[in-house]
Amino acid sequence: MSLSNGELRESYLIKAIESIDQEMTDFLFSLGFYSGQKVTIISKLASNYIINVRDARYSIDKELAQAILV
Amino acid sequence: MRIALTGNPNSGKTTLFNAITGKIEHVGNWAGVTVEMKEGKVKPSLNKSGLQMSVVDLPGAYSISPYTKEESVTRDYITNERPDVIVNIVDSTNLSRSIFFTTQLLELNIPVVIALNKSDLSTKKKTMIDTELLSRLLQCPVVSTISTVSSKNGLEKLVSEAARVSQTKDQEPPKINFSGTKGKKADVRRFEFVNEIVQMVEKREIDSAKQTRQDKADRIIASPWFGIPIFIGVIFVVFSISQAWVGPWLAGILGGWIDAFYGWVQGLMGSGVNPVVSALLLDGIIGGVGAVIGFLPLIMLLFFSLALLEDCGYMARVAVIMDRYFKKIGLSGRSIIPMVIGTGCAVPGIMASRTIKDERQRRTTAMLTPFMPCGAKLPIIALFAGIFFGGQGWIGTSMYFLGIVIIALGGLMIRKMNGDKSKSHFIIELPEYRIPSVKRALLSVMNRSKAFIIKAGTIILICNALVQLLQSFNWQFQVVAASAPEASILASIATPLAVVFIPLGFGLWQFAAAAVTGFIAKENVVGTLAVCFAITNFINVEELSLAGGAAGDVSVVFGIGAVAALSYLVFNLFTPPCFAAIGAMRSEIGSRKWFFGAIGFQLGMGYTLAFLVYQIGTLATTGELGGGFVGGLIAVVCIVGIVSYLMIRGGRKTVAKPAKLSI
Repeated sequence: MSLSNGELRESYLIKAIESIDQEMTDFLFSLGFYSGQKVTIISKLASNYIINVRDARYSIDKELAQAILV
Repeated sequence: MRIALTGNPNSGKTTLFNAITGKIEHVGNWAGVTVEMKEGKVKPSLNKSGLQMSVVDLPGAYSISPYTKEESVTRDYITNERPDVIVNIVDSTNLSRSIFFTTQLLELNIPVVIALNKSDLSTKKKTMIDTELLSRLLQCPVVSTISTVSSKNGLEKLVSEAARVSQTKDQEPPKINFSGTKGKKADVRRFEFVNEIVQMVEKREIDSAKQTRQDKADRIIASPWFGIPIFIGVIFVVFSISQAWVGPWLAGILGGWIDAFYGWVQGLMGSGVNPVVSALLLDGIIGGVGAVIGFLPLIMLLFFSLALLEDCGYMARVAVIMDRYFKKIGLSGRSIIPMVIGTGCAVPGIMASRTIKDERQRRTTAMLTPFMPCGAKLPIIALFAGIFFGGQGWIGTSMYFLGIVIIALGGLMIRKMNGDKSKSHFIIELPEYRIPSVKRALLSVMNRSKAFIIKAGTIILICNALVQLLQSFNWQFQVVAASAPEASILASIATPLAVVFIPLGFGLWQFAAAAVTGFIAKENVVGTLAVCFAITNFINVEELSLAGGAAGDVSVVFGIGAVAALSYLVFNLFTPPCFAAIGAMRSEIGSRKWFFGAIGFQLGMGYTLAFLVYQIGTLATTGELGGGFVGGLIAVVCIVGIVSYLMIRGGRKTVAKPAKLSI
């Protein structure tokens, strides 16, 4: 499923980043978004998700959350 | 020898740079404050090695691999310029992401020293890092640093370690088992290697994935319901402090001093001095520069509040709140950061747009940022609000909201013209909130005030003196009679230009001249008006209007009504910015077509808005149209026609492009 359907405060392992744009997947990779990496949903704020990856907090929009498969 | 500072965004590179060089470069608590490299010399008090040491502060990067454009500055510098030592600044609260970049740096055959920065924060979070083990595993020196404090910060040790490793050159990179993999697969191995190291050296008592008070705060501050009202409240407080509550009061005191100085110089010269010389000195230089300097308290308070705002970690949250709305007008949530910075000065604001990856979004942000009234436009707002509208606060506030409306409209129009309907994705790192440092904010204010005073004492002084001379003499270089200023050189140059402004309600040569000098620096608008109308004190306008009855002295001297004054204000705020900002726009936009389009768009916007304000305002107040209506209407119809044509053309060439990254 995609991260956008994930539960609040749950941790998931990233399976894949559905490639929409190479630049984006590459950038996410350099932040540590790769398959096998743990991601935790901290908050859901309407169209934004706050997530925790490798000890850092990020805010991502819903479209990006949909592209992250867990 | 040269030291390069590298590390992840928001790891504190510039704060450390400022601490070891004594410079005052711009810092803030969000990822991507530094967009250009900065160079400085290590303070002698920290440098005990006897070597000449210079430091280069580079923009933040997450990896050395050529993944994103932003990181290329860092990569190109390190690989092409080959500094003698790399100081890798690692955010100690975020070891697991930062060390990835470190392992890449270690493979470049340049000695590396790790500065384990923000070590006070990691201690507070009960995260223990075994620095000795880390140093052994990575085979490079590790120094704990706290660059935000001035003593016991580890910086002296950092500098001496850097000096030491530059001499030895015997560092070996750690052995990572890539087992023949390349590219991304190899980098996954690298991440796994980092995981092993972090597991060994880091003891976290509190799991980073656990909910914290900060997360609770975010759910309110960045929430779809409260986010916008909170943002409006914060901005209202920032502008009210500088422009309504404290600023004008301080400006009044300063204005009194300037008046006293004027009187003192006047008394000193006596009556025997040549009237042209005394007018040049008194009205041209002291009056013109004084009129600008008088607004310094407002600008200082604005910069102070903005510095606090940037330091506390709120900016990234604003980007999150605004993303939803900015997407609709073809911008990114990130576009709000340049615009907020732009309320201080458009030049760093425009430069901050560089962190926006998507080219169209970046260019659009760079051309729309100047529509937020900057600090140099504050005097114009304060002056006109004071003279014509009794200093009412709503004039200032409404100019900022008008700026926002223009940005929204502009974004939509540019998106239509460009025909790009691509969607973009948004990701931004949320830094931790912290109590903003008053000391850092004060340093920043001092630095920027110094720049403002230097500007007032150079460019603005020269402009004012020139304006004074040009209006004192006619083309035969004879002194113009005070009763016939129309004969002056300045009037004869500015009068043809003023014709263009008749439909806008201010077709007087003085206003045309001030609008033109405003392109050199926006402070000049007030300075030139002061010189042209020989008014020295713009600050205590309340007293002036009391003395002159209900209409007020200055507004009578200006010879225009309140509607035309509002139109002039709108025109000056929303035309192209000063030359410095135009230069910044050109370099960030990086395309001639886009750049000239941007200037044309800004000119058209300023003219159209001023026309609408004046004509509609005149119609509403007097029941008749203002002067020059037909001519102005033709010009405005042409502007609207060109924009509509470009939008329709843009709509036709629309190609569905894939979604792009927007960070």
